[in-house]
Amino acid sequence: MLYVFAALAVVGWSVVFWQRRNHEIVVVPSVESVETLDVPAESDETLNVLDALPLGVVVVGDNGQEIFRNRAAAEVTGMRHVDVLVEEVIERLVRLASIGQLGSEQIELAGPPQRVLDVRVTPLPEGGSIATIDDITERWMLDQVRTDFVANVSHELKTPVGAISVLAETIEGETEDELVLRLVRRMIIESERMSRTIDELLELSRIEMGGEMLSAPVDLNDVIAEAIDRALPLASRQGVAIAFEKSMDESTIKGDHFQLVSAVSNLVDNAVKYSDEGGLVTVSLVTIDESVELQVADQGIGIPMASLDRIFERFYRVDRARSRGTGGTGLGLSIVRHVVTNHGGEVNVRSREGEGSTFILRFPSIHGSK
Amino acid sequence: MDELRKGFHNQLEGARTDLARLAAAVIEAIPRATNILLNGDLDGANALIADDDRIDALSVELEEHCYQLIALQAPVAGDLRQLVAIVKMVGDIERSADLTVNICKAARRIYGHELDPRLRGLITRMSEQAQQLFEAALESFEENDASKAAAIDDMDSYLDGLQRELVRTIMESNTNDQMDLQVAIQMAMVARFYERIGDHAVNIGERVQYVVTGWLPEHKGAARYKNGIPRPNDDTDGIPIVTGD
Repeated sequence: MLYVFAALAVVGWSVVFWQRRNHEIVVVPSVESVETLDVPAESDETLNVLDALPLGVVVVGDNGQEIFRNRAAAEVTGMRHVDVLVEEVIERLVRLASIGQLGSEQIELAGPPQRVLDVRVTPLPEGGSIATIDDITERWMLDQVRTDFVANVSHELKTPVGAISVLAETIEGETEDELVLRLVRRMIIESERMSRTIDELLELSRIEMGGEMLSAPVDLNDVIAEAIDRALPLASRQGVAIAFEKSMDESTIKGDHFQLVSAVSNLVDNAVKYSDEGGLVTVSLVTIDESVELQVADQGIGIPMASLDRIFERFYRVDRARSRGTGGTGLGLSIVRHVVTNHGGEVNVRSREGEGSTFILRFPSIHGSK
Repeated sequence: MDELRKGFHNQLEGARTDLARLAAAVIEAIPRATNILLNGDLDGANALIADDDRIDALSVELEEHCYQLIALQAPVAGDLRQLVAIVKMVGDIERSADLTVNICKAARRIYGHELDPRLRGLITRMSEQAQQLFEAALESFEENDASKAAAIDDMDSYLDGLQRELVRTIMESNTNDQMDLQVAIQMAMVARFYERIGDHAVNIGERVQYVVTGWLPEHKGAARYKNGIPRPNDDTDGIPIVTGD
């Protein structure tokens, strides 16, 4: 919003100045940069400022002809059809502005990747109008995260509590031993589920604080071996094989062994859970320059494109029905992201539905970290 | 003379812009329809189906505008080729919009049925490839780039390969009783819809080549026919089949 006001002020002044100095407006059909404009030297600096703005700015004269377009507006997204759609909206809003009406439209692009652009056109006092194109994808996604988080957290916490309460009420009036036993077993499952969620929430909170984090040399080969050991019982039950491609190079990083095992365990566990019987999970470690890259790849069901940006959110579920069967809490990948961030690294994911997923964790090696 | 034709050239440029906008609307509708299908989004399906009336209206308007320009301005050479090509391309774009509507209708028919992840992955791939073909068609049209337009045909053989792979996966799922027959039929139709969208993008590419060079691939067959030369015994027309294996 600040950008919009700044652009309005600068452009308003610039156009007034421009139109006063030049009775005839310079008409430029598609301007790539300010160098191509025949404008007074005094306004060069102003135009350079506009050109440096991350916000797209298009100025239209009172005859409807475009007279200026900054660099950000020259190529909005790098995709031709999006540029064409943005132009169409600008033209429509400029027509409204010519009769003194303010106008704005949001363009939601299906992607991939999904994007949201906010286009606004404001009439200028000396005639003509200014259009701004703002990429609000991040804000829009944050809004979605906030809305979904409340729904997801209440679902994850309220479902087991609700189930326990109903089961307890049923037991109260029940005399048949076998049925009571079955209901009690169900209550135990639900309370264990709730306990897991609370444990992981506390762990996530501890990792987020980062206060208790150790900073000692940790060999990632050992971390992976420990994580695989933890996942082996589940893997053998599911009929999934786990392969480990050890690194022969230096694979020591500075960090907290406990946190790293927790993160890698989460990834290996997920890879096993979402693999079909007979599937293979491959964990590999490579050293690239001054960083160490740890990959966990599976041949499982994969992640839908629309969810790839969101899987690291707390309590986010790709498919709620499917996730309940796996016994997860929806916090595992949030823990992974926080652990990697605490270690000065980054986490990325590549996935396609039906073909599997690869999680890539990159850490600065002990030589690369300061 | 230049001044006299300035008005006409502005109108011709306007027609080109309108065509690009129609194509952009379809390029955006392809992933939208795919998301609707994969997420069972009924509201989205209704919205996209309703929007097809707008595409139809714009198509009719643009086609009539082109006829008017041909009748009143008597364009020749490159200008005439452009207008004739736009009239042809409008048909391809409008039909592609109809195909995205068909994908939405299929989404409504299979609502509530779970799709196998492998099938979902292949649908996503087909959608991305169909979108890329149309994006390339739009770029070649806007840049009058005959080389880019010629490449669309080769890009389409990858989409054809994906269609065969998708149909094979559907057959396997149905044979193993993993998929309801009605769903299998709808999914095979959906694969066909994406493949047809790709074919329409190829047609647009061919029309761009015609605008730039005055040549159409059909000219080859027409010349063979006129000279009494039999068609070579090769139904792929020299294009290797990508099986997707």
